[in-house]
Amino acid sequence: MVIYLRNYSCVNIVAQCSRQRKMVRVCGHKYSLMAASMLVSFFVAVFLVEANPVTSTKLKEAALEQFEKHCFDCHDDETRKGGLDLVGQMGKGDTDGSLVFEHLITAKMPPKNKKQPALKEKQLMLDWLAQRQVEVAPKDYRRISRHEFVHSVNDLLGVKLDLTGEIPEDRGTHDFDSDRRVQLTKQMLTSYFVAADEMLEFALPEKGFAQERIWVTNKLKDSHKSYNIYTRKYKEGILFSWTRANNGNSYSFFYDNFDPPVKGWYELVFDAMKLGDFKEDVSIEVFAGKYYYADDRPQPQRLLDVISLGNREMKSHTVRVFLYPGENVSVHCYSKHNFRQRGGKVGAYIKQLKVRGPVLAQWPPQTYRDVFTGLPLQALPREVQSATVTQTKLKAIGGKVSVSSFQKGMEKEKMQDGSNRTFWHTRFKPTLAKPPHFVVLENPQGKQIEGLSYATWSGGNGNGQVKAYAIHLSNDGKFWGDPIIEGELEIRLASEQPILFPKPTNKRFIKFLVTDAFTLDGRSLASIGKLDVMTVLPKGGSALRVSVLSGSADDLKKVIGRFAERAFASSLPEDELAPYYAASLTALEEQGDFVAAAKVGLKAIICSHRFLMAPGEHKNRSYGTAADLARILWLSVPDKELLGLSATDRLNGNVLEVQIDRMLQDPKSGRMIHSFCDQWLNLRSFNKVAPSLKLYPLYNDLLNHYLPLETEAYLNHLIQENLPVGHLIDADFSFLNQRLAQHYGVEGVIGQQLRKVPFGTEVPRGGLLTMGSILKVTADGFDTSPIRRGAWVSKNIAGNTLSPPPEEVKAIEPEHGKEAATLREQIEEHKTNPACYACHKSIDPYGFALENFDATGQWRTQYRIKRPHRGTFTYQAKGYYKLAGEVDSAGEIDKARFEDVFGLKKILLSDHRKVAYNFSKKFFEYANGYKPNLEQRLELYAMIPAEAEACRMKDLITMVLVYSLEGEQQ
Amino acid sequence: MRNISRKDFLKIGAALPLALQSLSQRAEAKVETPPKRIIFINSCLGFYEPYFFPKKRGDLSSSDYLKGMKTLEKMTVFQNLFHPGMDTSNHDSEKSFLTGTPSPESPTFVNGISLDQVLARKMGSDTRFPFLNFSIYDRGWGCSWNDRGAAIPPMHDEAKIFDLLFKDEDLQATKQRLRNDQYILRNLQRDLAQLRQQGSHRGKLESYQKVIGELETQLEHEQFWLNTKKPKVAKSLSEDADFPFSTKIHNLFELAKLALQTDSTRVITLSMDWIYGAIKVPGATGGWHTLSHHGGKPDMIARLSKIEIDTLKHFNQFLIEMDQIKEGAGTLLDHTTVVMGSNFGDSSNHTCNNLPMIVAGGGYRHQTHTMLEKPTPLCNLYLELLHKNDIDAERFGSSTKDMGLLMG
Repeated sequence: MVIYLRNYSCVNIVAQCSRQRKMVRVCGHKYSLMAASMLVSFFVAVFLVEANPVTSTKLKEAALEQFEKHCFDCHDDETRKGGLDLVGQMGKGDTDGSLVFEHLITAKMPPKNKKQPALKEKQLMLDWLAQRQVEVAPKDYRRISRHEFVHSVNDLLGVKLDLTGEIPEDRGTHDFDSDRRVQLTKQMLTSYFVAADEMLEFALPEKGFAQERIWVTNKLKDSHKSYNIYTRKYKEGILFSWTRANNGNSYSFFYDNFDPPVKGWYELVFDAMKLGDFKEDVSIEVFAGKYYYADDRPQPQRLLDVISLGNREMKSHTVRVFLYPGENVSVHCYSKHNFRQRGGKVGAYIKQLKVRGPVLAQWPPQTYRDVFTGLPLQALPREVQSATVTQTKLKAIGGKVSVSSFQKGMEKEKMQDGSNRTFWHTRFKPTLAKPPHFVVLENPQGKQIEGLSYATWSGGNGNGQVKAYAIHLSNDGKFWGDPIIEGELEIRLASEQPILFPKPTNKRFIKFLVTDAFTLDGRSLASIGKLDVMTVLPKGGSALRVSVLSGSADDLKKVIGRFAERAFASSLPEDELAPYYAASLTALEEQGDFVAAAKVGLKAIICSHRFLMAPGEHKNRSYGTAADLARILWLSVPDKELLGLSATDRLNGNVLEVQIDRMLQDPKSGRMIHSFCDQWLNLRSFNKVAPSLKLYPLYNDLLNHYLPLETEAYLNHLIQENLPVGHLIDADFSFLNQRLAQHYGVEGVIGQQLRKVPFGTEVPRGGLLTMGSILKVTADGFDTSPIRRGAWVSKNIAGNTLSPPPEEVKAIEPEHGKEAATLREQIEEHKTNPACYACHKSIDPYGFALENFDATGQWRTQYRIKRPHRGTFTYQAKGYYKLAGEVDSAGEIDKARFEDVFGLKKILLSDHRKVAYNFSKKFFEYANGYKPNLEQRLELYAMIPAEAEACRMKDLITMVLVYSLEGEQQ
Repeated sequence: MRNISRKDFLKIGAALPLALQSLSQRAEAKVETPPKRIIFINSCLGFYEPYFFPKKRGDLSSSDYLKGMKTLEKMTVFQNLFHPGMDTSNHDSEKSFLTGTPSPESPTFVNGISLDQVLARKMGSDTRFPFLNFSIYDRGWGCSWNDRGAAIPPMHDEAKIFDLLFKDEDLQATKQRLRNDQYILRNLQRDLAQLRQQGSHRGKLESYQKVIGELETQLEHEQFWLNTKKPKVAKSLSEDADFPFSTKIHNLFELAKLALQTDSTRVITLSMDWIYGAIKVPGATGGWHTLSHHGGKPDMIARLSKIEIDTLKHFNQFLIEMDQIKEGAGTLLDHTTVVMGSNFGDSSNHTCNNLPMIVAGGGYRHQTHTMLEKPTPLCNLYLELLHKNDIDAERFGSSTKDMGLLMG
């Protein structure tokens, strides 16, 4: 209880009084009569306040006296400074006093140049405001969020399958996922039913697990000639150069000869090295996505991981990635040094890619040991098999090709080598072959052929490209009959064009007859880049089933009971479990399969109210606390240790704090960091905006990937190291890698691993305000709006309370015109109108101070004004802009003037309590799903240490957690 | 011959053959009188008023935006409709577009049921999908709100919507799943009952109870439709990647059209909800939201109008195609009431009066341009739509009366 005590020492008497009065508390656990007794205490508390008019009248009088002394001079019905008549407002019983409360507690009011109330005086006012506040009590339960659902089920099943995208966004219109106003709907429950099926099937597949295989490849799938120039053969593999296409897209190159057969985890090992004599690392971004030929528009790819090549010797780089069937692996090399510019051997050399998967950590998988503990398992051994790499499907079915004629060097095999840079061509030298031109594909085993896949050859003058075709079938290769299909082909399109037969055929011979072809000079020619059959090949290797050697109802009940205890975070008597047993047992009787029956019971558990609603049903307080803690810090269910402590109801006091500490150190707390950043700092919207390529041509997906990671790494560090809360505002370090350092103009950071980097005093970074992620998410990708960014930073980081703009005010979104001055002038208009200025004095200065950072968070001293491009947009690294207007980042907050962001940070740091108070409120809301009411805010504030150095991040989090979890005990 | 609705069927329960018989009979009956359908479209950033509303009273060809539309004789533009209680609602007003519930910006706001959901109760029981709702991206809420005021998450993935509507399922597996799910629900009900008896947490249990009750009904509905094959349509979704935003809008309209045409549903809601970042449409690139705050600047209005013209182009195309599909004595458009509008009158100033509202199709005798003399609750029109679709409601949202704005 170290932290608690230390904080207690600065809790003043009034706050302690309100602690005694505490009523409906945060997590509202049920343990048998808990809910009822809480309700009773609620009524008693209300009753007490009303039945004790003396105390409450006394407090009111004392508080109003203070208001008279400090506030009413300006805010009465005559002066109405800032349009506020506080006298009138206080007169009415039910007006919302939270804004007045916030202004008082954060010392925004009375203004700095007026006499400040003494601590005691202020406390009287705050206390009375808190007491008179009519709050709508939040619901005493909430539904769990989709993120909590997915993490919990993954942990329960011992798998990692990210299905969050399959479940609709569920926070409604609120900031925090845990918001108690969000209700469970039928549609959400339906998607949980669907997700549960998918996750159970992934963990315990009915048909078994795919064999583990190994693919080795150093071959790329084709891409258009305009991209082919960015790769070249080098030694045994391929040398890559950075690509940035005319339209600004970074093209990634797809590896051939590997298609993930099933969804699952794969290990990609790149044998690669950096070539070139320069100190920076070369980065390889590894993507997954649907293969596309690069003259098509790019398809979105998932960035899986980044490999940093710093050595000049061959090394194996392993990344572990989740892949789906239909996806391919592609790579994009990022380095300003490349062989295109310098010539010679510069860039990223990848000798080969070796893929192993789907990988399982154990065989039989851990899931079976966890779920079916103690029951004998049976499975054939799972050995790694080498995948045979077949160039074409025709070869795979043992087929052959013949052609009407061929030109030397352009033989029929060139259609079959998997590349359309090489091609088959009819004979034109020394004599011209006469039509008909055709290709015959032989299907000796009579496999079912659905159609043909055709591709033009790329890179030539177009001579011989097929414009029209007819398909004939034959059993003997002699008698062909009428064509089964005729059609036209696109000659400019270089991607593969499927020719689907009207119905699949088993015939032995298929003739592709060229009925029309492009010709520049009138000669009769034909050429084809690729031609193959379309047929379904048998999947390599049969699936391996894991059987559980039991069919007994008793075993099934044990399985369900054990899983329920973990999922529900409670020990449960047999009779309470009966419905979950029943669901499984009925399935066992009907379907006879033990695992299938167990899955029905497991699904019932993870789709139940006990699992989807918080708090659940817990046998004692500790179980409830464990469930809350695990949900808040891990977005998951309690682990063995927490359950063990709960079983004997020991999760309280010092043990609780030790556990919080342990849980924060567990890597699973990274989920909380991520989730909290998404919600508090709105990083979930980070990818909604793509910065303008004209204004910010150097912005790329690598930078986009790392910007939010910096914030997460930084926040995690502050918490793990328990650093002073002022670090939220400023610090002399952050977590950077080579790409981020380039963006920030920091020298000497090599390699793409994030690491702690110290800043000199001249660096304007450090703290959240000046992080690229925050600066980007508060801009729209083009301009920065000092109002929008200012309001956001003021509210969320500086901790000001702002009321919405008054009615009938013309809203404008100022743009940086040719003259930067005009923007500032427009905004400075606010000063002339007291109604506007009341709020905008807490908005505009923050925005102005950050005007030195553009929409991507890069430092600037001048604005960029977009220039038009001629014709089609063509990417150029220098962008399309001119510089205009100097940035003026000066401003004033509460009479304190600052010149730039350095000055702003100093002002913000001068009141660490405000920063800590804001953070506590946000974390409270994150943890509990509602904003603390005024009484709770008073208490949170009172627990903040008076010394800035003593006010530390982990302590604050622990304090909020303990306060939330233990509150109701009192 | 009596048409048995699905609700009746559920009451009959075991009398499956009878119900199936009546289903085919109903299919025959359908040819004679095409069913009524309705679709709501909300463009959450509104339309630039001077370009949207006709400059000459009563003359749609004097509207910059609408003059080129091909189905003008089947449209009415309403002027001076609004939702009371939206004075400080800003973007939150979107939540109330189909509910009319005031003060959506309040922290204690609880929404009412949306119009499409009231209609779906009546019009939704005879189709595979009682209603459909679409949005541009995964935001989790749009215009549809259930009777407890909870947002009904819209679907946004075109390929998934297409599969849901038209792709055949593995019948055996689906049957098994439905059976298992029914065991699960039955047993969850049992657990709820025992917890209630123990005196656990009432509010929590009740809220869950309601939801699984609804899910049980849905499973019955799914089971019923398992016996009917999904309709087959050609895949007509665009994959044009030049203008992804445009493609998205086109595809959502296309899916709506296909769903209505195949009678997969009779109630659709489409939320055009995009206030983040830049979008690209023919002729303009820019932040839709940023541009919507044009503050009267000609350059911004020019770019904004390109976006609005683009969405209206797809809307126009939708109406044209709906009007080309013959059905009964008229066209699909004649049997579908199309309500298009916005929660914003002027999004530059965030005001919610004089909402741009169009009613098209539905077989009404359209007045092309109806200018109301004084600000009139949009819910009056909503109430009328309920009445026109045989729902005997006394009021809806902030309605004061059915004003008989739609003729015929």
